[in-house]
Amino acid sequence: MYSLSYVKPKSLKDAAAFLAKNPEAKLLSGGMTLIPTLKARLARPTHIVDIAGLKELRGVAAKGGKLVVGAGTRHHDVASSTVVRKAIPALAGLAAEIGDPQVRNRGTIGGSLANNDPAADYPAAVLGLAATVVTTQRSIAADDYFQGLFATALREGEVIVRVEFPLPKRAAYSKFHHPASGYAMAGVFVAQAANGARVAVTGAGPGVFRWKAAESALAKSFKPEALEGLALDSSNFNNDIHADREYRANLVRVMAKRAVAKLAGRK
Amino acid sequence: MSAKAHHNHGPVGRVEDARLVTGAGTFAADWNVPGQLHGTFVRSDRAHAEIVAVDTGRALKHPGVKAVITGADAVRAGYVKPMHTLTFPGKGGMQTRAPERPVLAHGGVHFVGEAVALVVAETAEAAQDAAELVEIKYRDLPAVVSPEEALATGAPQLHENVPGNLALEVEVGDAAAVEAALARAAHVTRLKVEVTRVAPNPMEPRAYIASYDARADSYTLHVCCQGITTLRRHLSAYTGVPEEKLNFEVGDVGGGFGQRTPAYPEHGALMLAAKQTGRPVRWVSTRSEGIACDTHGRANVINGALALDREGRFTAMRLDWVNDMGAYLSPASMGHIRNTTTCMTGVYRIPALYATYRVALTSTNPVSSYRGAGRPDIAYTVERLVSQAAAELKMDAAELRRRNFIPPEAFPYKTPTGSTYESADLPGLLEKALKLADWKGYAKRRAQTEKAGKLRGIGIATVIENTGAGQAAKDEVELELDAAGNLTVYTMAKSQGHGHETTFATIVADALGVPFERVHLKQCAPEKQHRLQGNHTGGSRSTVGAGSVCHLAAQKLIEHGRAAAALDLGVEPSQVEYADGAYRSKESKRTFRLGDLARSKPVSVVAEGKFGSTFPNGCHIAEVEIDPGTGAAEIASYAAVDDLGVVINHGVVEGQLHGGVAMGAGQIFGEHVVYDRGSGQLLTGSFMDYYMPRAGLVPAIRGAEHPTASKVSPLGVKGVGESGCTGSLPAVANAVMDALAPLGVGHIDMPLTPARIWHAMQDARKGR
Amino acid sequence: MAKVTIKVNGKNQTRAVEDRMLLVDFLRDELRLTGTHVGCDTSQCGCCTVHVDGRAVKSCTMLAAQANGANVVTIEGLAKGKQLHPIQRAFSECHGLQCGFCTPGMIMATAGLLKDNPNPTDEQIYKGLEGNLCRCTGYINIVKAVKMSAKLLRGRKH
Repeated sequence: MYSLSYVKPKSLKDAAAFLAKNPEAKLLSGGMTLIPTLKARLARPTHIVDIAGLKELRGVAAKGGKLVVGAGTRHHDVASSTVVRKAIPALAGLAAEIGDPQVRNRGTIGGSLANNDPAADYPAAVLGLAATVVTTQRSIAADDYFQGLFATALREGEVIVRVEFPLPKRAAYSKFHHPASGYAMAGVFVAQAANGARVAVTGAGPGVFRWKAAESALAKSFKPEALEGLALDSSNFNNDIHADREYRANLVRVMAKRAVAKLAGRK
Repeated sequence: MSAKAHHNHGPVGRVEDARLVTGAGTFAADWNVPGQLHGTFVRSDRAHAEIVAVDTGRALKHPGVKAVITGADAVRAGYVKPMHTLTFPGKGGMQTRAPERPVLAHGGVHFVGEAVALVVAETAEAAQDAAELVEIKYRDLPAVVSPEEALATGAPQLHENVPGNLALEVEVGDAAAVEAALARAAHVTRLKVEVTRVAPNPMEPRAYIASYDARADSYTLHVCCQGITTLRRHLSAYTGVPEEKLNFEVGDVGGGFGQRTPAYPEHGALMLAAKQTGRPVRWVSTRSEGIACDTHGRANVINGALALDREGRFTAMRLDWVNDMGAYLSPASMGHIRNTTTCMTGVYRIPALYATYRVALTSTNPVSSYRGAGRPDIAYTVERLVSQAAAELKMDAAELRRRNFIPPEAFPYKTPTGSTYESADLPGLLEKALKLADWKGYAKRRAQTEKAGKLRGIGIATVIENTGAGQAAKDEVELELDAAGNLTVYTMAKSQGHGHETTFATIVADALGVPFERVHLKQCAPEKQHRLQGNHTGGSRSTVGAGSVCHLAAQKLIEHGRAAAALDLGVEPSQVEYADGAYRSKESKRTFRLGDLARSKPVSVVAEGKFGSTFPNGCHIAEVEIDPGTGAAEIASYAAVDDLGVVINHGVVEGQLHGGVAMGAGQIFGEHVVYDRGSGQLLTGSFMDYYMPRAGLVPAIRGAEHPTASKVSPLGVKGVGESGCTGSLPAVANAVMDALAPLGVGHIDMPLTPARIWHAMQDARKGR
Repeated sequence: MAKVTIKVNGKNQTRAVEDRMLLVDFLRDELRLTGTHVGCDTSQCGCCTVHVDGRAVKSCTMLAAQANGANVVTIEGLAKGKQLHPIQRAFSECHGLQCGFCTPGMIMATAGLLKDNPNPTDEQIYKGLEGNLCRCTGYINIVKAVKMSAKLLRGRKH
């Protein structure tokens, strides 16, 4: 790790102000990606700004037909929250599949979304559930938020405060773990809401994306068989030593079917 | 000696556990010595290049930096020629061609991760910061990472003195007999198999401290290793520093698996730094460094042919090996040829054998011994051929084996390659395993699996391997007794998790009939390093060798005390009997306790022994289930019956088997070191990309013992350290092939990752 | 430099350390608590697992400064004097360790797992140990040790 300064602001406002003055500073939440990146000397921030303890970022609540999760909420807290389990069990289930127990005890939803790793799990839920990412500056719809490989709509100095999930009728997540890292080799989040179905895919491509052909098919018939033989553009899928595009495309199909199958018979 | 004779069983759990479960162990990175400096290696970021210039100027100016050692220093000191052990007579009188390897690269680099410079500073952070300031100017050269491509005409020439990148070519057996048998065979099964390159990855990363004593002109190295004797010999040969000037400190070692046997360039580079700075220099490897430059294992490509007659009897086998040794010959790479030759027939009577070996150098990290060191490779090759033959002939895989076993009455059995298998009961072993695995009930289990929408396969492997022996002239053990009756045992064998402190203490306590708690083991103790000889711990040899000598030392102590006891008891020495820690005589009512021998001063005896190979053998049966949607395979059941001779500690032995089986399963399902074919870059440089077995990979093992007698050592033991993976590599692979065969999938090479299995299924479906 | 006070195994420890110092280095280098090990650099192996404010975390993936004011328990803090913690006892009795390098992390991860789930199934144990690698045991006896630990701990509570 390169030499750097650690700062711990007392409020979100202080954090934002510090970031504004120090363009090479970086936010630290759970640190599950940032610290390994720093250790590998792949980033060289002047400061790291620790917002993990800020009360403004904590908390889970269901209100007004929405589930609101503070950006600083840890994966374990989402996974074990009775509120989340009741409101959107698939979200709790997804959180319980992230990394490993130690990672879930530190990592946060805000950190995961800000980083937007192409194989991270949360982006699939946020996009699949058409959630809203609320920041210090504005509210961003999931469809606008994710912009490809490690890219998001966040501006310099903008901090995620919370994520608002509209409650779906039903939702499920199926994930195929990368054999070495445990990340999603392909993860598919399927949600059925009043205004139709959404299918969000992580792990397979350069960033989370919606499989719209699957959404249309499920709108007509919410059954695994409805996904049979659908078009899936895998031309930009990841192609590496662990899995080529063809295999990842297969995983997307299989995981999507399994997610839908999980919901079969459930209202 | 039978297992029952062990009346002095140690505590529940091992002696070493008390410190290891409380965090009180002393691993290599736990050492710190006064005045130490910290080293960071600057490593090659490319696979093959000429080093045009190394500029250390900026690094030396960095605050806290004390020295930057480079290849020029290594060459000046003469630390350039590592020893190697590929000393086999080559084909047509060919001599092994071994490239030089300065402890820091000089003139050129030959693989990604090769150490080029060593930055030494007051803190590890300063050394790391300054390492980035060392400027190396390279001129890139073409790399070749595949051993077959390295041997092909037109391949980039990697080392001047190794034409065609061919380090050695060896042939074994009778080519003409095999050709004739192949020509008249009723059936010939041919397979090309790869036993992939893997990273041993003991959980403890390497860590060393080198100190130089100018007055004595000697070095002390704090190391993690598998015993200091082989390391010392390698390091002395590499550096020219006489063995008596090399001292070692070694505490707890966090796994070895063969990888911690040889001397590494880092040892020598740290010695140079310690001498130059006059201060101890400490280096702690990162995992990524470890995956890149701690020696790899396996890495063999084999073309095999097995000939059978009409009755399904094996008549001949031919194997053509290409051994990928990486960029340089490691000092511990002989196993690839020696061990694969020793057990080339496997457990079968195969009248005609012929093998060729072509040892290739490539633009990759050197390959050395790894758990089994060739034994799993040959077992995998033979057992894949046999199961493939059974599949081709539509024969029961167990029956084909049964028909070709070396019969019990043929032992000791001299194989066509010149080794002598001591003992085995192969039919008995097989029947026990078939029963344990419920071979007959398999069809029902398969039907159940299929009902659940999955594929199921069963795989069997019957294997034998050579263990014990060793290159040291002898194994010596010193046994010291004090007046309180406490015994200290000194060995040159060194546990890396094997539990020697428990097993060896049990051996001594049993032989002396004293409480286990009285016996304490010291391994590679500094005060004995230049007095005792012995093998390092590797090749599943330590209980056979050092363990047996522990037994002999105890007997020697008993004999040593007989005269003094007789004098004390007032009888003739011949009238003295020894039992349960005391000398007694029918002619005397008194007893003379063992500790009484040491009343005036401690008593010490040194015993020695040299033992040949033992041949543990086993039958492993695995069942797998495959998810056809994803290609993911899982072990559904695993049964293992092993002939390990006499077992001293069943828990420890079972643990060795568990670990070995999981390692083999890990290699089959995912472990693989991959280099980019074009650039030679390492693509599996961390645990993010290098698959490691996790909990649940092998859910359970049903195990049983099927011992036959061994007279190689006085204990009757056979080695066990490598048996697990020798059996599991072929058993698990055979199970996967069996599951896929009905789909028309032929042989596929490890690692049998979900993606690879899925693709094989698709290809078969499409008739590709 | 950061001035940090961390309660480690019940005792407040105050040091001035570099901002970039990892918690694991604080424990190992500043406090000489070398039972917490480092087995990788990408947060996979779990050898460095300790408890921070009651939760199992990887101390290699956290700065010492982040732990300022926290309550940290390491492997050295589990036993009561000479009496082993039930999990330590279970690992030894089930032969759930060989070289012992991963063991402190395994034990701390097990403690974390059993806190959340006092009676885990095999599958739950596999998941609970996903963040810990062992190279020696093949995990079979580790799983056994976790089950025995669970039994011992449940017994202790009654």
